[in-house]
Amino acid sequence: MSFIHVQHLCKRFYVQKKRKNGALLREKETVEALKDVSFQIEKGELIGYIGPNGAGKSTTVKILSGILTPDSGEAEVGGKVPWKNRKEYVQHIGVVFGQRMQLWWDVPILDSYSLLKDIYRIPEATYQKRLSELAEALNLGDLLRTPLRQMSLGQRMRAELCGSLLHQPEMLFLDEPTIGLDAVSKLALRDFLKWENREHRTTILLTTHDMEDIAALCPRVMVLGHGRKLYDGSLQDLLRHYDRTRTVEIRYGGDESRPDLPESVQMLKEGDGFRIIYEPEKLPTAELLNLLQQAGPIREMTVQPQNIDHLIADMYREMGL
Amino acid sequence: MNTLRLYLRSMGILLKSQLQYPLSFLLQTLAQLIMEGGEMLAVVLLVDRFDHLNQWSAGDLYFFFGLMSVTFYITECFGRGITGNFPSMVRTGQLDTLLIRPRGILTQVLCSAVDPRRITCIAVGTVSLILGSRMSRVDWTAANILLLAESIFCGFWLILGLFLIEAILCIHSVKSVEIANALTYGGRSACQYPVDAFPRSFRTLFTVIAPFALVMHVPASRILGKPIFGWPAWAAWISPLSGFVLFAVMVLLFAKAMRFYRSTGS
Repeated sequence: MSFIHVQHLCKRFYVQKKRKNGALLREKETVEALKDVSFQIEKGELIGYIGPNGAGKSTTVKILSGILTPDSGEAEVGGKVPWKNRKEYVQHIGVVFGQRMQLWWDVPILDSYSLLKDIYRIPEATYQKRLSELAEALNLGDLLRTPLRQMSLGQRMRAELCGSLLHQPEMLFLDEPTIGLDAVSKLALRDFLKWENREHRTTILLTTHDMEDIAALCPRVMVLGHGRKLYDGSLQDLLRHYDRTRTVEIRYGGDESRPDLPESVQMLKEGDGFRIIYEPEKLPTAELLNLLQQAGPIREMTVQPQNIDHLIADMYREMGL
Repeated sequence: MNTLRLYLRSMGILLKSQLQYPLSFLLQTLAQLIMEGGEMLAVVLLVDRFDHLNQWSAGDLYFFFGLMSVTFYITECFGRGITGNFPSMVRTGQLDTLLIRPRGILTQVLCSAVDPRRITCIAVGTVSLILGSRMSRVDWTAANILLLAESIFCGFWLILGLFLIEAILCIHSVKSVEIANALTYGGRSACQYPVDAFPRSFRTLFTVIAPFALVMHVPASRILGKPIFGWPAWAAWISPLSGFVLFAVMVLLFAKAMRFYRSTGS
């Protein structure tokens, strides 16, 4: 059986509506956070879990990390049911919440780690070895004596990651780990996750809104919307379906030049050049180039793929999210 | 045993972090002294004006006040995790971060905070306790010392149990419920005076529901040689255990309530 096995998972919340004028009690509204979600994940996979806000990503993570109990459905992680025997189960998982700090705020992170050692009952030797390994991989060496409150967001996220991996969990859940991070921190974090996944075969499931995270890290991606799983497969396959257009920016040597293009191609005058959006399916790039060259001497030209965020927005739109 | 070690280590680290701001720590500790000194002044004025309350002499009143003060602030100091920010942890979803650790929730909550500023409040209480026992000529036999210790120890769990009520209500409504404060802070303010000074409804409240009278007043009156409710000697040894019972019931209710925990935020 797969390492993670989720079958027909359902979870609904009851939200109290605003009280109507004159009404004594507030009406309850049911929000179905998860509607029959199923998937399998093998040991050592690195999986991206995406979807618009409110799609049910965090709910899934909370159920799989034993925080919430589902209304119906089954789930097993490493042969254990997350919401049963909580203490036994969480010994084998690590969770990082991008928007919620877990380490002690006012104390040096080294003190936090040594408390975590006691909490997880990690033997001293194992702890020392793991800590030095993680501190090096996360470049935390100089920060160990710094309290969390004095750290930048990027440093804090690295410190949190270290804390959640000290007990060497088989499974790591990350809920929006790159939220608010600068480019350098993001890159460092991605490199680290790849390293941890490769070195220890740690299975990693991360939710994110940053498509670059997915492109850089996850061979497999699951898309969730309105509590349903809408896609499960590789990112390339997902994008291929939506990634239909290319953008050309072009400037000519002579001012009079203006390419004559078929109607399926969109052309906009931009500064002293043109922006051309075409679909290679309808007009092969070689033909387009021919047409462009006939118009005059090309001074410079770039061809760009579509922005990945736009693709995802198109996809969400098409899926009715 | 491992749990106790974890608690002590947590306390050590938390103390260290509080002492990072020595001036702020000192000022807040002094503020606590003024606050609790003010509370004691109320007793001083009462005694000065009336010199006794029912059958209770001035010394007895100082003793009751001291007992409540010492017990309540020891609880606030060492049980700060539960008496302080636990309800807000439930409300903000910070509780999630405890649920993913392989330890009991209440253990972790207790390990999450300590409030050493209360030391001055405990000192005021101790002074009042000593003053009262001198004035009332308490005979400090081994049995009396043990009874006092039992009363304080059980009082600790009683007060923690009462603070748990707020946490339990928070899980169900995800909102602060002030009604619980009536039992905790209200109980402290009322029961620093002997409970038989109050009308019947209050006596029932603080005997049956929030048994401050059973945990503190019954053994205290035994130590002072004036058995309250006219109960036999052994009752003074049994009745404080009701503090434990209340705590145990609240722990069970808390565990039950956790099944309804909904978490908040993303």
